[in-house]
Amino acid sequence: MTAALRLARQSAWVNFQEVAVNGFLLFAVVWQPLFVGVTTMYMLRHRADFDPMYVVVGTALSGIWSTLLFAGSGAISHERWTGTLELLAASPASFFVVIGGKLAGTTIFSLGSLVLAFGIGTVLFGYPVKIAEPGWLAVSLLLAVVALWATGMFFAPLAILWRTVGRFLLVLEYPVFALSGFLFPVLLLPNWIVPITNLLPPYWAAVAMHGAASGDLDLSGLLRAWFFLLLTGGVLLVIASRLFVEVLTRARRAGTLALS
Amino acid sequence: MLRDSVGAIELRDVRRLFRTTTGTLRRHAKEIVALDGLSLEVGEGELFGILGPNGAGKTTTIKVLTTLLIPTSGTASVLGLDVVRDAKEVRRKIGFVFGGERGLYYRLSGRDNLRYFAELYAVPPREIPPRVEELLELVGLRDRGDERVEGYSRGMKQRLHLARTLLHRPRVLFLDEPTIGLDPIGARELRRIVSQLHEGGATIVLTTHYLFEADELCDRIAVIDKGRVVALGTPDDLKANVSDLSVVELEVFGIDASTVERLRALEFVDSVVVEQRELRQVLRIQTRIAERAVAPLIAAVAAGQVGRVAVREATLEDAYVRLVGRVE
Repeated sequence: MTAALRLARQSAWVNFQEVAVNGFLLFAVVWQPLFVGVTTMYMLRHRADFDPMYVVVGTALSGIWSTLLFAGSGAISHERWTGTLELLAASPASFFVVIGGKLAGTTIFSLGSLVLAFGIGTVLFGYPVKIAEPGWLAVSLLLAVVALWATGMFFAPLAILWRTVGRFLLVLEYPVFALSGFLFPVLLLPNWIVPITNLLPPYWAAVAMHGAASGDLDLSGLLRAWFFLLLTGGVLLVIASRLFVEVLTRARRAGTLALS
Repeated sequence: MLRDSVGAIELRDVRRLFRTTTGTLRRHAKEIVALDGLSLEVGEGELFGILGPNGAGKTTTIKVLTTLLIPTSGTASVLGLDVVRDAKEVRRKIGFVFGGERGLYYRLSGRDNLRYFAELYAVPPREIPPRVEELLELVGLRDRGDERVEGYSRGMKQRLHLARTLLHRPRVLFLDEPTIGLDPIGARELRRIVSQLHEGGATIVLTTHYLFEADELCDRIAVIDKGRVVALGTPDDLKANVSDLSVVELEVFGIDASTVERLRALEFVDSVVVEQRELRQVLRIQTRIAERAVAPLIAAVAAGQVGRVAVREATLEDAYVRLVGRVE
């Protein structure tokens, strides 16, 4: 294993131990999806075209999205608060790899939402788990998680470079939730919004996961969704890598790595 | 022990400005000069002290040398590597400890903190476990290494910081007020470790407010004020600057500012420092006439207000007061 991968793995493990006892992220992973999942099940279950897997997948995505939005936008400022930002910045390790590893730890933690969402569907409401394409769902989940992690990586330097933007990021939770079609089809929204949704990795995550779980998408449809998942996530990751360099350069010029 | 004169660290005319704003409705930009053409050289294997009042530029100097700040102008190098151009290479060769308790992962154990920082410094995986144990032993935390850092005392956290900074065997160490806030025993233990590291050949730059600490540990000391070096030399060199002075210490009760000013105006008085100790004050008066100054000083204060009187030789602290002209 190369040094960078080992560092990323260690960073993920360190952060996993920290977020596992973080009350706010526990709320994002457990309580918020529980509320979303249960209320949506009650709202939709009497409809003739009701598909419980749609709610399960949407609930899981909402938990993963919220966790990565909050953790990503606070990833660097959290290090500053704990006084470790200077130590990370003054170490020879790549700052991008360190924060990337840490956010990967949070991403793994956010998968608790998926387990919870299945629990809501099967245990709480007694629906059987019926996944049309389990293998494709696994691939979709993997790619969705990578793309959402990349989105979190994009938010991390953005929130530090432009603090006002950072504050606004926190209110993106519901708009992206709605624009991505986690629990309600995007087709319900006006047509002019569709191009915007196509730019969002969470949208393609929802398309791929819903499509694989319900079997509504054939392989070519899934391949298209996977391609755009990787493309949108990849673009954000490339921009993020530049912004990470900018964060450190600006902080070294302005002297803002420490709190004091 | 000064090993040789090869420059481990060089600062040449380093200036560092900080921009800040004042005002609420109408904001005005303001520039603060933290370093004002600072030049210094530290030899390899040297234990070099930087003294100065708050805001003198000590921490800024350390942050420039540890690559955390880019100088506004001038050049700084560590082991021949430019801290701006070769920042990554510099980082591999240095270690640093900033005073205070922050900078550790509190929910992890001390041992896990060290393992993680070893990864950050790319210590080969096979070397990490023995190195971590060796350092926990050095700083006296081996038995408590599995406990979460959040339960550590301040002194334990400081010692863990020191262990952290030694993981990759840095050639140059920067210690910025490492004993700040420690109890006397904890501080003495930390000084012992610093001494030991120095004996082992490390180049160490130490900033401190405790002058006896600098006197005890440092080969050479730079006193800086307003971002410039105002004195440089061995502790004995600096003390020699005040060899003509003696210090009269007067323990007094309830004297006012005007009395202190009156003392300062006396022709034979070089400086007066007031230290508040609960209800008492201790006046440290530097003078060239030693014992002969005692009677006129007591008369100037008013005899009824004076308790203990002592006359002693000037120390490094007195040299510092003379150089910097004030105390915090």
